[in-house]
Amino acid sequence: MVKSAIPVGLKSMKKNDVKLLAALLGLALVAFLGISLYSQLTTKEPQAVVRLDGKEWGRYPLSEDTVVEIRQTDGNYNILQIRNEKAEIREASCPDKICVNHRPVRAQGESLVCLPNRLVVEIENGEDTGIDAGTK
Amino acid sequence: MKKIYQAGILIAAALVFAGIACIQFRHHKPQRYEGQFFGCFDTVTTVTGYADSQQDFSKKLELLQDKLVYYHQLYDIYHTYDGLNNLKTINDNAGVQPVEVDAEIFHLLKLGKEMYDKTEGRLHIAYGSVLSLWHEYREEGLKDPLHAKLPSQAEMDARAAHIDIEKVILDEQSSTVYLADAQMSLDVGSIGKGYAVQKLAAYAREIGMEHALISVGGNVCAVGSRADGTPWRVGIENPVLDSDKPYLAAVELSAGCLVTSGDYQRYYEVDGERYCHIIDPKTNMPPRYFASVSVQADDSGVADALSTSLFNMEYEQGVSLVEEMEDVEAMWVGKDGEIRYSSGFKVDEEK
Repeated sequence: MVKSAIPVGLKSMKKNDVKLLAALLGLALVAFLGISLYSQLTTKEPQAVVRLDGKEWGRYPLSEDTVVEIRQTDGNYNILQIRNEKAEIREASCPDKICVNHRPVRAQGESLVCLPNRLVVEIENGEDTGIDAGTK
Repeated sequence: MKKIYQAGILIAAALVFAGIACIQFRHHKPQRYEGQFFGCFDTVTTVTGYADSQQDFSKKLELLQDKLVYYHQLYDIYHTYDGLNNLKTINDNAGVQPVEVDAEIFHLLKLGKEMYDKTEGRLHIAYGSVLSLWHEYREEGLKDPLHAKLPSQAEMDARAAHIDIEKVILDEQSSTVYLADAQMSLDVGSIGKGYAVQKLAAYAREIGMEHALISVGGNVCAVGSRADGTPWRVGIENPVLDSDKPYLAAVELSAGCLVTSGDYQRYYEVDGERYCHIIDPKTNMPPRYFASVSVQADDSGVADALSTSLFNMEYEQGVSLVEEMEDVEAMWVGKDGEIRYSSGFKVDEEK
């Protein structure tokens, strides 16, 4: 006679085994929920990401109207305004004002660029227009 | 028996973790990343591509940056670099002596001369003397807008006496360049960036990027398609900057390049009139034919050169030039917003 090697009931398990199993399952559940929630929080909301010289400086959700002054140590600045779920540069210290003249941006991948100040404001998780890059 | 229970529990736990890892791993096939850097060709470079990790992508981006810095330094007319003969070295030696240069300068200047012939001088790499005059006035005008001025006719005429492309002497054998007029200078602003982007795209493939989109200040070049096989979509920006519509059209690219020349971003104002950074060698003035011209071509150097040239000529002349060339298409946006295309220009969808 061959006996089944698989335990058939909780009754035959030791109390500690049950605790261990419950703890592991609980841990797994928490980890799973945590990771899902985290990725939900960090990827879904449309936001304006400010980068200076390629390095992230800050991120601002498009859902909240705000005005941010991005001032650099050399005194140069750009003032980012978020209004009606769009981001724009309201004012800047640069001579050419290309960034100020640019239309407000809101869609995925759209960006505001200020070359003299090495600033890029890029929209992440915005409405997907299917455009990967722009030519101007 | 106890051991079997414990083993069972451990296996169950392992399966649960493996399940979670699987779900997470699904997102870990090569991911799409985007990176940017400054410092090359007076603009921002954006690279979109795929990698296993951010770290991996950053490494590739760094390699690309190093490569583009190299081209930037070669074609720089404002700075000299230790141990490097660049365009400034050639300009500084105008009327003095030939300068031995890197093959990448030599080939660019050769392409420049070819494009000069093809465009009847609308693309002019030996136009530095006039361009630098406008550059000085524009910089001054941007710094002090109330006192912005135009160069005088006399100044322009004086500078325009030193733009003879025949005096750019290329010697293939010795790989030297000589400017046979002490007051002339090279300026490859309308072709150097495009040429460099083409080289950068080839280099991207060399370092294992099979799918990437490289934009050096809107000079866009596709390395293959997107990873899923669908083409990249490149938007042609609306020159009307206060319009809600960001793009006039989208072009699909699985290879090749799209370059736009426009007057709506880089300009200065004198007495309320705009004067853009592109200068027509035929008039020595900023042209007023279009708001922008976009060119799609296999080669980014050609596309760059052509977009400037087409911006400098009337539509009729431009369209016949485009139709003559193979694998080149163009889209013209008039000052009044009217859009015209060459016969093979494929617009994917207006956005």
